[in-house]
Amino acid sequence: MKHLFSGLIVLLWGSLFYSCSPRAANTDTGTVRIHWVRDPENLDPLVVDNSSAYEVANLTNCSLLCGDDSTQEFVPWLAESFPAVEQHGDTLLVSYRLRPEAAWDNGTPILARDVAFTLKVMNCPGLPIEMDQAMFGFVRDIRLHPTDSRQFTLVCLGASPDHVRTSGDYSILPEHILDPEGELRTIPLPHMARTAATPVVQAFVKRYQALQLAKHPERLPGCGPYRVSSWQNGRFLVLARKSKWWADALPVPPRQLQAFPTRLIYQIIPDATTATLALRRGELDVYPMMPAGEFARLQKSAAAQQSLTFSSTDSYDCLAVSFNVRQAVLRDALTRQALSYLFDAPTLNRATQQGTARLSAGLISPRIRQYYYDSLPLPRFDSRRAAALLREAGWQQQQAGGWLRSTRQNSREPLQLRLHYRAGESAFETIGLQFRAAAATLGIPVELYPTEQSLLTRQVRAGATDLTLRTLTGNPFSYDFTPLLHSRGIGASNTSGFSNTLSDQLIEQIATTEDPTRKRKLLRKFQRFLQQERPFTVLYFLPYRIAAAKRLGKLPVTGIRPGYAAARIRPVSTR
Amino acid sequence: MRVAALSTQQPRHWWLAVGWLTLVCLAALLAPGASSPPDFAQLSQPPFLNARHWLGTNAQGLDVGQALLQGARTVVVVSVPATLLTFLLGAVMGSLAGFLQNTRWQASPQLLLSILLPLVSSVIIGPRWLVAQLLLLPCLAMLLWLGGRQVFRGWRGVPVPVDTLVMGMISLLDSLPLLVLVLIAAAVQRPSLSGLLLLLSLTCWTTPARLMRAATLRVKALPYAEAAEAAGLPATQIIRRHIWPNTWQVLLTRFPLTVAMLIGFETTLSFLGVGLPPEVPSWGRLLAGIRQSPTDWWLLAWPGLALLLTILSLQLLARRK
Amino acid sequence: MIRRALRQGLRGILLTWLTLSTLFLATRAATDKATLIQGTLEGNARVSGLPEQLALTQQLLHRYNLDRPLFYLAWQPAAGWQWHGSHNQYHQWLLQLAQGSLGYSYQEDAPVMHLLGRALRYTLPLTLLAAGFSLLLAVHLALWVSCRPTARSLVLAVLHALQSIPLFLLAVCLLLLLANPDVVAWFPAFGLGDAETEINWLQQPGYLLYHLTLPVLSLVLVSLPALTIQLDGALQQELSQKYIVTARAKGASRSRAVRQHALRNALLPSITLLTELLPSLVAGSVVVEVLFALPGMGRLLAEAAATQDYPVLVGAAGLTALVRLLAQALADMLYQMADPRIRLSQ
Repeated sequence: MKHLFSGLIVLLWGSLFYSCSPRAANTDTGTVRIHWVRDPENLDPLVVDNSSAYEVANLTNCSLLCGDDSTQEFVPWLAESFPAVEQHGDTLLVSYRLRPEAAWDNGTPILARDVAFTLKVMNCPGLPIEMDQAMFGFVRDIRLHPTDSRQFTLVCLGASPDHVRTSGDYSILPEHILDPEGELRTIPLPHMARTAATPVVQAFVKRYQALQLAKHPERLPGCGPYRVSSWQNGRFLVLARKSKWWADALPVPPRQLQAFPTRLIYQIIPDATTATLALRRGELDVYPMMPAGEFARLQKSAAAQQSLTFSSTDSYDCLAVSFNVRQAVLRDALTRQALSYLFDAPTLNRATQQGTARLSAGLISPRIRQYYYDSLPLPRFDSRRAAALLREAGWQQQQAGGWLRSTRQNSREPLQLRLHYRAGESAFETIGLQFRAAAATLGIPVELYPTEQSLLTRQVRAGATDLTLRTLTGNPFSYDFTPLLHSRGIGASNTSGFSNTLSDQLIEQIATTEDPTRKRKLLRKFQRFLQQERPFTVLYFLPYRIAAAKRLGKLPVTGIRPGYAAARIRPVSTR
Repeated sequence: MRVAALSTQQPRHWWLAVGWLTLVCLAALLAPGASSPPDFAQLSQPPFLNARHWLGTNAQGLDVGQALLQGARTVVVVSVPATLLTFLLGAVMGSLAGFLQNTRWQASPQLLLSILLPLVSSVIIGPRWLVAQLLLLPCLAMLLWLGGRQVFRGWRGVPVPVDTLVMGMISLLDSLPLLVLVLIAAAVQRPSLSGLLLLLSLTCWTTPARLMRAATLRVKALPYAEAAEAAGLPATQIIRRHIWPNTWQVLLTRFPLTVAMLIGFETTLSFLGVGLPPEVPSWGRLLAGIRQSPTDWWLLAWPGLALLLTILSLQLLARRK
Repeated sequence: MIRRALRQGLRGILLTWLTLSTLFLATRAATDKATLIQGTLEGNARVSGLPEQLALTQQLLHRYNLDRPLFYLAWQPAAGWQWHGSHNQYHQWLLQLAQGSLGYSYQEDAPVMHLLGRALRYTLPLTLLAAGFSLLLAVHLALWVSCRPTARSLVLAVLHALQSIPLFLLAVCLLLLLANPDVVAWFPAFGLGDAETEINWLQQPGYLLYHLTLPVLSLVLVSLPALTIQLDGALQQELSQKYIVTARAKGASRSRAVRQHALRNALLPSITLLTELLPSLVAGSVVVEVLFALPGMGRLLAEAAATQDYPVLVGAAGLTALVRLLAQALADMLYQMADPRIRLSQ
């Protein structure tokens, strides 16, 4: 026993001694270490389906346009300027010109035929193109300019202003790596889908699959400032700055073409406690999307204040209660309004977000000043008003407790509700407990259903829920509410099942209007309408909280995921 | 009589253990049925400073004292019954597998026929006419059995590989870690209180079964068990009279451990959000709160202490008997 | 002898096949395949409208071969049992399995074998170290305790107290105590070191050990009580047997009686624990791997269960089942070596 223990101690000391020596060969100032919750898993440029993969795609590749949070508009990236648009009936002709400086790593310029090639790959049968088809399928053809090899026109089906932005929102792939012989050039884009059997396309598919891009992104270096230099699944991913990147030649690169850190190391740490410790110990430099409790605790700690900076921005993600209007008890707007008064949004903001979230009257973030309808009342808690509204909706409070109302079939339905939310989320649980307690004071029985994600999705789709807590992700660019609230979305992503002709009309008008004043008017009308009808009650818009090491200076934060612009972090040189 | 004899011999800490367990049972009986609403004005309050929450509150405004009392009920209603069920199932399965092995039980042809034929016909009919099936098929089984007794007289029985069957079931259940098994189950249906109980007992019986099988194998090889077998005693009697009295000690030492394991498991489930419904407080859920606010020591101290005392008391009792 | 081994092997293969088939059919039958696809669509607000989503779901189902019927036979409420022939998911999976492939992961688009191998590289060092240390400690502790009856009740009480702490709590406490700049930061908080540190092969074991200290420690602390208590219980039972009395009467010291005579018999029930221990070595530990950011088997399994990545789930379960069967055979062999009186039926 004794020698075992002494052996253990010797072993531990030995390991300590050994491992302390290599730690000196550490960070140079250009390296930034960032926390990720999950691995990107699949880095095939055609399949970008989680936020980590999206971040990598945006650093290793460029697309024609990109969203800019500060102006809340799309700005040109690979394109020289915002495209010119012509409308012919139901088709849009979107004309781009590429930046003359833009070039691949080997010096060959990025030309219109690379864009044409990219679109053909996204239409190539046999490759994992399903998502691309669903998102960019409206781009039907590309017309190259006869003389200017950098100029081209995209033929888009459907006259929505969103299509103009989306038409430039995919990574441009290098033709000289994937198709060095230019074999796909002979096949016109509209024919791609039908040419699955031709040997040219089959050979191309084989070549593409042989690269195994899902796990080997380094085999397809894009035109972005970084390349993947090493990737250990589930542990870390390292991006290295290219020593010679085409945008370095620009005299004054715009913000979207700046890239300062020489190395970006993404460390994957699934647990928040561990990640906080790693940040405190200097093993991480940036901790984005920090949980509210940890953030507030660190902000108060004197030791953490010395080494860390804290920043927080309002995002476009909101926490909302979705009412399933297909359920009999929730079919009328008055009941939904009444129940909304039972969610104590200001208190919940304090309890779950430390009071840093922003209450909102509707689906549009108060951050978007030009479109947010600020004279609508903010959500508040008022159980007396809730009871009055319930009575107005025809509910009668019973002596023995509980509420009843008679239906058209002359039977009596009781007011009892289920609240579903994703299991394992403590903020949701707090909201659920608050609502349950508030409803209990009025005598409304509420059952809480924390549900595993996949089961929740199934139940929500099947319309088997009453109330659902969910986070809605948004952005400041698109105002297309079709998936969420249009009758076309019923059975798919319109999970509240709400629709009527007026709202369908409004949604379509908003989606096709480009003129800001008219859009503002329509959006205000829509917000007022939603306030009345209440398919959703938005509790608050969530802030993105980021803690970072002091040496990184002022962090470039954005309200769009991931909440910061990694390429624009400028480490201050340390003494 | 035996109790009286015990009571005069037991030292003081035996009484302490009994006292604590009685206290837990009392708390379970007397705890308020509905939890009081969360107090959002006082989140993460330390204990002893607050008149209303003298054991403090957690990050969700839940009163720790009340949750402790209600958590005691969860222990009494979920963890202990689940352990008992687990052990019962495990003991029966394990000793049957160990004793009967693959050849000892020879099922008579009429028995096999009366089980298999209705089963097969039920599968062929499929999920239709359920009421008729429920009524008719047992009748068919009875008829087959009674008729078979005449027809198959003098036939030799067919050996049933009990050991292989039980071990196969164990290997099926054990090929996935318990946690993953429960996660899959949660992805299919949300477990209720009784569902959780059933789920825990149906998945945890493998360890006691394996221990019991090993112990049975050992005892079975002892001369007196062989003698009992040679004397032609029926299997159930040998197991009950001769095997169990010498094997149940193995399980007894594991009882407090398993209760602790199940409480811990329920904690982990609550922490993942797939365990008990959120309005049912449990010690495990209180403990899990430490993840959200690592500086709130009282979330660790009170439920931890309660858990510790319970486990130690159970252990003491298991050892003394 | 060879015939027996052959029969054992055949039975093992049969059992593994049954286990895997049950898992395969049960997981896929119990869940809705459209939800699986829905998860990927959820993050994408741009795909609007029901017709588009239905078409997309159908295409994705086709990509994963999920648009086929599940099994040779299926029950249809209208037509009763329907025969689907070999064009079904199970048949295809079985063919793949016969060729030694476990299929492709839905999430990662990589062969399941590859993923399992990768995860084992992190899990095995962790679990082997933990198992080795806890076995060694448990045997020593049990022997030590049985020679010192006075310390026994105290040690047992401590062990029971330790046992009552759930693993995740223990790991969090270790992390917050030993890797916290506010308390003591002796050990790293996560992973196996950062991406950029370069170390030579001489430093490798020490480096690994240093980074695995906390995860291994939490696993050892959690598995030690059960092992020790089990062994101690068995030792106590053996010590009351007559052969020990004889041995003592012949002049053996207490510790000699324990080591030379009782231990061998007391280890017997513990051999069954071996069949539990070995599979858990490959299955890893979700809690520890999540907390210390090690991408091992436990995390792979839990993530596969959460995202309904069935090929990975069934593959990992198959691996565990295989190891379990091997452990079972090993345990049976050890039984006979430890106590030749035991006869296992053939």
